[in-house]
Amino acid sequence: MKGSLRSRLTSSLFVLPYFLCFCVFLLYPLISGIILSLQNNDMLGTHEFVGLQNYIDIFTPGTYIHDAFFRGLWGTVKFVVYSVPFLILVGLALALLVNSLNARVRGVFRTIFFIPYAISATVMATIWMRVFDTDSGFLNLMLDKLHIHHQQHIGWFTDTPWVWIALVVSTIWWTIGFNMMLFINGLNEVPEELYEAAKLDGANAWNRLTRITLPSIKNVTAVVMVMTIIASFNVFAQPNLMTRGGPGFETTVMLMNVFDVAYGQHQGGAASAMAILLGLIMMIVSAAVYRLLFRKEA
Amino acid sequence: MGTKAKQAGLILIATVLGIFFIVPVIWMVTISLKSDAEAFLPNLNFIPDDPTIVNYTDALSGGDLNVPILRWIYNSLLVSVAGTLIVLAVDALAAYGLARLDVPFKKWLLSLFLSTLMIPGIIWFVPQYVLFQDLGLIGTYHAFYLPFTSSAFGVFLLYQFFRGFPKELEEAAHIDGANKWKIFYAVLLPSSKSILSTLAVLTFMGIFNDYIWPFYASGGNDTMQTLTSGIAVMTQGSYVNSPNKLMALSTIATIPVLVVFLLAQKAIVRGITQSGIK
Repeated sequence: MKGSLRSRLTSSLFVLPYFLCFCVFLLYPLISGIILSLQNNDMLGTHEFVGLQNYIDIFTPGTYIHDAFFRGLWGTVKFVVYSVPFLILVGLALALLVNSLNARVRGVFRTIFFIPYAISATVMATIWMRVFDTDSGFLNLMLDKLHIHHQQHIGWFTDTPWVWIALVVSTIWWTIGFNMMLFINGLNEVPEELYEAAKLDGANAWNRLTRITLPSIKNVTAVVMVMTIIASFNVFAQPNLMTRGGPGFETTVMLMNVFDVAYGQHQGGAASAMAILLGLIMMIVSAAVYRLLFRKEA
Repeated sequence: MGTKAKQAGLILIATVLGIFFIVPVIWMVTISLKSDAEAFLPNLNFIPDDPTIVNYTDALSGGDLNVPILRWIYNSLLVSVAGTLIVLAVDALAAYGLARLDVPFKKWLLSLFLSTLMIPGIIWFVPQYVLFQDLGLIGTYHAFYLPFTSSAFGVFLLYQFFRGFPKELEEAAHIDGANKWKIFYAVLLPSSKSILSTLAVLTFMGIFNDYIWPFYASGGNDTMQTLTSGIAVMTQGSYVNSPNKLMALSTIATIPVLVVFLLAQKAIVRGITQSGIK
């Protein structure tokens, strides 16, 4: 098919529409984001070049940007640390459970566990705000019935550590189906002969899990881990809509502060600098996790 | 014997977990069917004492919520469908070109597109907003769907599929004198329905459910919200005091995606399997 200039020209026309969309709506904003981070830009039309000042401000204690960045980073890192282990372990556990069910009911439960994934962030938040509400929420009413914390309701969105439990539980509910599906796909690729051989050798269920299943799905686990870490670094909707960053600044995460600095404080340049630093941190962490998981194998 | 008991035990565990996943959704519908008075009573009845659909009729007619919900539904469906169609067209053309045709700098372009899948979107969010502001598109429909056309996800997904497509069919058509366009729409597209529907479903859900971008892209204009960004605004405002109305709205917002999701579950699973990324 390699051919004339004319042929190459007509072939290029296939890629051209996407190429234009890509350049205008992604590449250009990406590059101008880097330029924006070197500017003082009020997002209303006026801007001036300030060099690395925004980055210097971020690392200068006492500035608004410094507090916004490090408070946000701390909140985000906490969420990553609290949520990622559960999102991976529960996802794997659900996949193992679904796969060990009878073929007849397997599809039903897979769908049930996966349904919340179809629900939008705002609906998810609206639902869980009614579940976790202190005075009339589903959960506290339930605990009343069971005579737990009857005298004093738990402030799911207003007290630590409950606020983190509430955020992690709602996140698991909302997103775990996706990780489960990836794990199910991985489990289905493990050759059946391995299990049969192990059974003949008299290996019990635990041994089959740790010696055959887990090593066989190592690649899937690495992908799930990196994707989950990235998703958790990007956390926004849950704290923004449900806890509004509280109590205090406890659950104020980075993306909330990027939007606050950009649209609340009208400092587009500083917001861009914050976003770029967050992006770099995310890329370094995911690359490190990936390397770590694959180096062990070698 | 033993295996039967074990299976029953597993189904029991799965059922208990299933309740955790389903009850919040049922609770949403329950609250949406409660009267104003009952919505504030602290009770756990899954069936309201006096079920009413007034929250739905109120919501759809604007009612005392005084928000243009029908307009939001129209906005959501319009931008989701338009966005999905454009993404499908643009991505399919590009993926076919990159997978099969003599496009100059093919390898270079492909790695440029794919490398952006690793870069967190927050880096270009604010500048994208500035761009749309400069173009004067904030508060218009174009602002809602255009950013989605730049994602390399669909190109990657379709590229993977087209690369594995048997060459013989194309060659036969080529010998019959068909040109590239004809081969693309007469041979390739009809054989790619399943992967195209996968991309369509994922794109539709992505645009319909997104609320951060439409929230800013609407320019704060009430009539230019989508269903999801509109509800986000309402949860933060005075509507906190009308949980039943909010839940009716949420139920309305969930129905289209849930229908698409349940009908196209296989397509979604295929997308997850084939890409391994999202």
